[in-house]
Amino acid sequence: MPNRVFFVKFKCMIILGIETSCDETSAAILKIDRGSFNIASNVVSSQIDIHTVYGGVVPEIAAREHVKNINFVIDDALTKAKIKPKDIDLIAIASGPGLITSLIAGTEAAKTLSYAWGVPIISVNHMYGHIAGNFLEKIKFPALCVLVSGGHSELILLKDYNNFKKIGQTIDDAAGEAFDKVAKMLGLGYPGGPIVSAYAEEFRKSGKTPKVSFPRPMLHSGDYNFSFSGLKTSVLYTVQKMGKLNKKKKEEVCYEFQEAVVEVLTKKAIKAAKEYNIKSIMMAGGVAANRKLRSSLEGAAKELGLSFYVPEFKLCTDNAAMVAIGGYYLNKKTKAKKDNWKNIVADPNWEL
Amino acid sequence: MEKIITKTEKQTLNLGKKLAKSFNGGEVVALIGNLGSGKTVLAKGIAEGLGIKGHVTSPTFVLLKPYVVKGDNIKKLVHIDAYRLTSGRDMEAIGATEFFDRDDCVTIVEWADRVKDILPKDLIIVKFNIRGKNREINIRR
Repeated sequence: MPNRVFFVKFKCMIILGIETSCDETSAAILKIDRGSFNIASNVVSSQIDIHTVYGGVVPEIAAREHVKNINFVIDDALTKAKIKPKDIDLIAIASGPGLITSLIAGTEAAKTLSYAWGVPIISVNHMYGHIAGNFLEKIKFPALCVLVSGGHSELILLKDYNNFKKIGQTIDDAAGEAFDKVAKMLGLGYPGGPIVSAYAEEFRKSGKTPKVSFPRPMLHSGDYNFSFSGLKTSVLYTVQKMGKLNKKKKEEVCYEFQEAVVEVLTKKAIKAAKEYNIKSIMMAGGVAANRKLRSSLEGAAKELGLSFYVPEFKLCTDNAAMVAIGGYYLNKKTKAKKDNWKNIVADPNWEL
Repeated sequence: MEKIITKTEKQTLNLGKKLAKSFNGGEVVALIGNLGSGKTVLAKGIAEGLGIKGHVTSPTFVLLKPYVVKGDNIKKLVHIDAYRLTSGRDMEAIGATEFFDRDDCVTIVEWADRVKDILPKDLIIVKFNIRGKNREINIRR
């Protein structure tokens, strides 16, 4: 069938990505045309008005709600990208780590579609997906990824797009979680990241030196691990001692707290960059939106003569496009077979 | 009711380890106390006491983390954090309640006071109070 061969040769690859690791239900269509990526759709449930579709309110804790959302989200992703099931070449599913009930909802839906459509499926580690959010750009390897979000704080070493290993992680709270909890202690609301950061910026603008000081946990631990729980407790003691806090005092606490988090993350990244002869530093995860952390890491990269990458914000928080990109590179390494759905199971503890 | 004062994080961790040694499986441990009062540290201690290697990190974001235990009776530790939950209904939604009556499982629930309507009657309740740098820990079995 010469015509068919001709057609296949110039057909772009189309990947359906599915992500349900925690709160978000997401589906995306990624088109790859001769190595260049085009995110044709990237639907995240919290952004669309699903409750008008099936009635009732979508609770914030969505675990089992994924089951209700997933078909609508996938359908929306296909419609927005003007793609039919028969056009899809590969399904990429984030089958772990995460919340088991959430993961099962997405994984089983993806496997069912793989079987029904006869499309190969590949499982993508959710954390690797976060890193892959950077791969819209050509990366210089070896690279170091500082992966920080509400649920994770990890340092990942990448030798190539699909060759990576974790070299360090938090041993207690994630960085994003520490921001949320400090915001809570100061009565600043949720989510804590943007507001703590804004308060810190106000203090910075005042040009003053903070009178409060917080520890830089594990800065000299000799490994690449972090600990943010003790820092949180230290903030608690300080806040208790200070009594009733006005806005200026809160700004000062936020500033020093953010400085502590950023310093630890940056210094460990620099240490790793030197030890592993890194050529570029990248960020991933929701905390990549933190301007202070971003500028600190970017500054460090510049000083060391390294490239620096950070995905646009909508690719930093949980989304399916990053899973599709990750799936593309993993599939290049080991091509997924049509019956691969038989081998895929949701794994809440899947370590990178 | 048992009242213990711990002076350091290490002591809280060790209390968790000691507590774990008395478990036979089927225990549900409710941890109640403010931010920074030592709940996750005690949970880490319990995990260590059950022989879990590797990092036991905060489940606040992901809500529930299961760990494999290689004990004679206990095969699983389930670490739940209700900090982001608002009611027992949410606990059911994440599948947490399924672990409560399993004999091969130890379940820890942080911020248990937020979901008390759904917790089993047979509970180990651990309450944390911050006393300066010390922690007053009350255990009721």
